Parts: sequence; structure tokens; C-alpha cells
Amino acid sequence: MTGQPLPEPAASPTATDAGVPSTSRPPRPRWRETLGLLLRNPTAAGSALVLLGIVLMAIFDESIAPSGANQISVEDRLQAPSWEHPFGTDDLGRDILSRVILGAGVSLRVGFLAVGIALLIGTVIGLLAGYYGRWVDDVLMRFMDMLFAFPAVLLAIAILAVRGPGSGNTALAIGIVYVPIFARVTRASVLGVREEVYVRASRSVGASDLRLLTRHVLPNAAPPIIVQTSISLAFAVLAEAALSFLGLGTQPPNPSWGLMLAEGRGYIDLAWWLAFFPGMAIFLTVLCFNLLGDGLRDVLDPRQRTLMAGGGR
Amino acid sequence: MRATRTLALAATGALALSACGGGDSVDTGNGGGGGGGAGTLIAAVSAQPDQFDPHVTTAYPSFQVLENVYDTLVVPNAEDLTFEPSLAESWETSEDGLTWTFALRDDVTFHDGSEFDSADVVYSYNRIIDEELSNSFRFQNVESVEADGPQTVVIRLTQPTPNLLERIGSFKGMAILPENAAEELDLTTEANGTGPFRLESSDASSTELTAFEDYWGGAPSIDGVEFRYITEPAAALTALQNGEVQWTDNVPPQQIESLADDDSVELQTTPSVDYWYMAMNFGRPPFDNRDVRRAISFAIDREAVAEAAWFGAAQPNQTAIPEDSFFHSDYAPFEPDPDQARQLLEQAGVQTPLTMGLMVTDEFPETVTAAQVIASQLEPIGIDVNIETLDFATWLDRQGQGDFDAFYLGWLGNLDPAAYYQEQHQTDGPNNYQGYSNPEVDQLLQQGSTETDEDARKEIYDQAARIIVDDVSYLYLYNPDVVQAWAPDLQGYQLRADKAINFENVELP
Repeated sequence: MTGQPLPEPAASPTATDAGVPSTSRPPRPRWRETLGLLLRNPTAAGSALVLLGIVLMAIFDESIAPSGANQISVEDRLQAPSWEHPFGTDDLGRDILSRVILGAGVSLRVGFLAVGIALLIGTVIGLLAGYYGRWVDDVLMRFMDMLFAFPAVLLAIAILAVRGPGSGNTALAIGIVYVPIFARVTRASVLGVREEVYVRASRSVGASDLRLLTRHVLPNAAPPIIVQTSISLAFAVLAEAALSFLGLGTQPPNPSWGLMLAEGRGYIDLAWWLAFFPGMAIFLTVLCFNLLGDGLRDVLDPRQRTLMAGGGR
Repeated sequence: MRATRTLALAATGALALSACGGGDSVDTGNGGGGGGGAGTLIAAVSAQPDQFDPHVTTAYPSFQVLENVYDTLVVPNAEDLTFEPSLAESWETSEDGLTWTFALRDDVTFHDGSEFDSADVVYSYNRIIDEELSNSFRFQNVESVEADGPQTVVIRLTQPTPNLLERIGSFKGMAILPENAAEELDLTTEANGTGPFRLESSDASSTELTAFEDYWGGAPSIDGVEFRYITEPAAALTALQNGEVQWTDNVPPQQIESLADDDSVELQTTPSVDYWYMAMNFGRPPFDNRDVRRAISFAIDREAVAEAAWFGAAQPNQTAIPEDSFFHSDYAPFEPDPDQARQLLEQAGVQTPLTMGLMVTDEFPETVTAAQVIASQLEPIGIDVNIETLDFATWLDRQGQGDFDAFYLGWLGNLDPAAYYQEQHQTDGPNNYQGYSNPEVDQLLQQGSTETDEDARKEIYDQAARIIVDDVSYLYLYNPDVVQAWAPDLQGYQLRADKAINFENVELP
């Protein structure tokens, strides 16, 4: 690291959160307060609630679903929604409600796994690039630029073409595609934090790079990453649906919302419910992750946060 | 009937194509915009031809076009698929059945104006034989093809071949090209045939044909045909209903019932000569065990599979040859019986749950549908089916290498019992990918291919079929219908069981 301390006046304006005075105490987000603020935002609270429901549904899928995902009964095919089959049945007589519930697990698992991969790799790369700068920054970020230059879905399709279709590979492909996004967000945030007084103070008393990164830099650079995580989850669920729709993601007969949408499109003027319900599930999940992301951004942004906290009291 | 039309019935790959199809219908509305004059028939087909060399291609989309461009010595007639004269006016067989003499028409010209004669036939057949092209196996009993004057062709055989007419005339893969055509033309993109239409142009969205005025059967009444590729069945149907196209074979099976009452569309179906089947790998335990294969055969409800894939437009069958054929056998030993299936598995000493990979391809969506039904039927007897959906190239590759537990596909356009059974079940037969070998079947198939008496021949193939079904070399499932739809004011089109698409006699208002 360049031990070169920047002149004091220049340091503050370069920080992203320029509104926060550089005090010796890190302005760490207090989680309980943050959560409280978040839940006071009705949109974000509603979204969080719906997502909680979807996650619970995905966890307890087998015990909630009225029937198995692949319980085929050709004589019951293409039945309109009824009490017996609230979402109707598909072209093989499978209960669509059950498949939507069981598909939640597939979609979310791929989504979380993909974002988990991207978050882990992207954050590490961003931390290193932002903190060490110079050639480390150049090498890592040019590589990220290269990945970023590919259209996202095209890159995912290419990865799947090499590794073969399937849920696991889909998660990996989407994860790789999202790495540069997390790397960039993390790096930008770290660039702001690394010159903060508390970081320099800690370094001056002899803290190791590892301690600095984990104790001071990462926690303070975290808010934009958290927001990005929520928004990326939305896109990952959407990407899984798109890849499954194209026949590269989840393979039949396993239920996945994107796959169900693809299977239903041939029946759209005959039996609308085949495509409608999985479509709604994708729509709802993606919307909620996005709204939650918006809410998180509001509460995690120190300026907004002050306003909200002040206005609330 | 080798890989002929098994390949590429519908290349459903490109979603983009379907979007184009849908978009077109918005702009053009009535009156067949896009290409051609008022008298041009626009036919919506599901896929683009891979090439136009009739002796090389094996793709059905190519033959949809070539059917209208080339001729063969004899052709199956539209009603019962028996052979009738085409470029050959008549033919005789010698007493010993080893010499066939064909008398050719003398009023035939090629599209470039040159005269057709026996040298063209000799050239075409020898090209297939010498270069070992796709259909060379059809000449395996042929010793020589010779001209005897400009109007006579003599084919000499090594053994009696009762199905010779089928071998040389069942489809346009046996087309007659002008002498030296391969040297003078790029046959993959150009054509010079004797058929009712000439190949005008072909690109990524359509293939255009124009009427051939000097056609020996009389010039067609329409000016030409445009084959337009619309991948998505729903889009093809919409285009037909809008009047943007006048004909399509790309009809979603789930719509067949509702289209019967639709006045804007003339829909016809007829039983085809296709069959769909599942094959298990004899080289991979436990599928080498007859009891295991029989257990699987007992567990499958063919009725449900056919219904799921074809919405009532397919007839379940436990043998290959469909009911309407003279050679049909009503042998049907497998009633769906899960208990018996479990018992057989136990008898075979197989540990359940047993995992079976089932290879299907999205090129033929019905294979994916059928596989899901089969999976749900095998689950209760303790077999976990792992459905592998592959692109067709990979699929064929793995089939060729024997890298599969089981696969699902169909053979299309079969006209002779030998075509249904021989190449698929003879020991080391060219299409015996499953690795079946039974000396008794070999002997029967050999006998059947040389037996000239029809009734005796049927008896032989019935016996062979019985053993093949009992051994579950193929697990036969159903024969689908041919389903095609066209505009109500289109006259003179005839639906054919062999799915040949012939627009020679079509009239537009």
C-alpha cells in the first residue's frame, strides 16, 4: 500500500459519503436501528414480508404442495383453475399450484447460489483492487471489464454450452456473470473508505492489512454491496427463468418457473393458466427483491438515514 | 429408410425465428405479401432445408422441397402407397427375380431443357453406389445398373428383392439427376430436376420454387411455391388463419380438436407410416437383461404416452407397422401391469431404485413430453428416470457411440416391412444402435427381404416382430397421424400417409 498520506483537505471530498464528517469513530450502521427504519417503509416492509413468505414456501415446499411436482395424470390435463386445482393443471395433468410452490425452491436456490458466488468472488476482488490500487487494481479490474463487456445472458449461455445444462451449472454461470458487478461496487466503496481517518489511524498503530480489511474497510464499505445483493437476487431469479425458458437451465421434468413459462407458451390461447401463474411468481419475486433493494438503499445511505430518522421522531 | 426423415422434422432451436413469424403476420395481413405473385402458394414449414442434394441430405425439411423438384423412376401413390409409374412407364421382372427392366418415358426434359434418358438413371444410381451416399444401402442387392438403349434401364440383382420398387422410389432421396450433375452444378444449393417446379432461390427465411412449364405431367396451375420457415407451431397456425400462408404442416397437436370447427382452416389428418419407440442399451447392465426390459415394457401405459404427446392424434401400438398397413401385426403382449413389472425386476435380481438415463432431444418436442410421462410411469416400479434433453447433433453423436442407457425417437416414412425392421434389428445392422442380436430374427429378416409371395412375407415379418417385441429390442409406443392444414379455397392438395408434400396439382382461386 502506498504509505503516502494525502493532504487532509483532499481526503474528505474524495470519499463517497462526503456528507459524513470524518470522525475517529466509524459511522457503523447499527443493525437493529437499520431494520427498524426499513420496516417503517411500507413498501420495503411489504416486499420483505412477501419474500419471507416465498422463502418459507421454498423451504417447506414438499409439505405445502398439494401434490408432487411430477404427478402426471393425462386424463386431467389442461383443467382450468378450480377448488381442486387452484392454479389449474398443465398439459400433462400436473397440478400447477404444486409446481409453482416446488419451483420456488429451484428458482431461489439458483438465485441465492449465483449471488453467493458473485458476492464472494466479486467482493474479494473489489476489496483487493480498491485497497491495494496500482497494478493489482489494474490487473483485476481490466479482467472484470473484459467479463463485463460480454452481454450477460450471452456469457451465461456460453458457459452453459461448455458445462452442459442443469440447475447447478446455471447458478455457476449466473454467478460468474455477476462477479464484475460486485467487484466494481465493492471497489468504488473501498476507494472511499480506505482514506478515512480511522483506517489511517488503525494502520498507523500497526494493524495488519487483513485486520484493516476485515475490521474497518469491509464493514464500512458494506452498505452498497448489500443493496447490490438484493437487486442482483432479482436479476438472478430472472436470469434463471430466462435460461430455463431457453432450455439451458433447469431440465424437465423438474419444475422451474422459467421452464413452466416455456412449456406454457404453446397453450397460451388454449389454457392461459399454464404460463400465467409461473409468470406471476417470477414477477412478484423480482419486484419484491427490487423494492427491498430500494428500501435498503434508502436506509443505508447516511444522508437519507438521518432524514428518515429525524423525520420519524 | 435409414436416417432419412428421422432427422430434423422441426428444428425448434431458434426462438428468434418464431418471433419473426409472428411479426410478419402483423404487417402483411391478407394477400400473401413478402414474396411471389398472386398465384404463388405460400407454405409454412417448421425448418430450413439443410441442403438440396437429394442423394446426400437426410433432413425432412429438404425433402419437403425436393419432392416438388425431382422425380424418381416410380412413386408411391397417394392413396395406398403402392408403387406406380413416374419416370419409368413400365417394368418387368425376370423369372428368377434377378433382373428388372424399366422402360422410361420419352417426353421428359430437365429444367435446363436437356432430354432425359437412361444414361441419367445409370449416372444417378451409380453416383449413390460408388460414392456410398446416404442411401447406398438401398442398393445392397444390386449387382449392376445398365442402359439398354436410351429408353431402357436394366437392374441386375444378386438375390430376389421383392421390395426393389420401394428401395428406388419411396422418396426423393432416390431422385434422378441429369448426367454429370454433380460435376456441373453445386447440388447443395442448385437443382436441375424433372419435377413440376424448379428451385429458384433459398435463403434463411424461405425457399422459392417456380412452375416448370415443360413438366412432363403438365405444367402446374400455380405460378410457384414459397416455403416459409415458421418454427413455432402457434405462429404458423396464426399465419394460416390470417391468410398470410395457405398451407402448413406445423400444427400444434393440442389445437387439432378445436380446428375441426374452424371455418378459416381446412384441417386433415390421416394415419402416418411413422412410429416412435424407446430403445435400451444392450451393452449396459442391467438393460442387457431381458427381464429388466420386459419389466419396463410392462410398466409403460402406451395409451397415456400417445395421448400426452399427440392429444388423441396417435394410435398406441406394440409393434412398428401401423394398423392400416397390410403388414400390420396385432401382437400386443404388454398390458400396463406394475405388479408384474416389479416381479420381473425382482426376478432379474436388480436392486431398486435403479437409475436409467433417457436421452431425448428438443428438436422433437414430443420426445421430451413422452419422456416425462414414461418417467412418471417407471417411478412406481422403482426406476428413477433421468431425462437428458440434448440438442440433436449431440444426441445423434451419443447414439452412434452407444453412450446411453436408453433413448426415445421415431422412424418416419417407412413403406416396406424391411424398412420397419431390417436395419434396426439385424445383428450389426446400420441402425441397430441398441446392440440387439438374435440369430432367429436375423434369419427371418433375411428370409423376408427375399420372399416374393406377399402373404408368406407377412407371415415372416409377423414372426420377426413377435420376437423383437418379446425381447424388447425396441419398445414400440405409437403411430402418430399426419396432420396438415390449409386455406379452405386451396384445391387439389392431397394429404399423404408418407408425409410427402406434393404441390403439383394444387390450384389457388
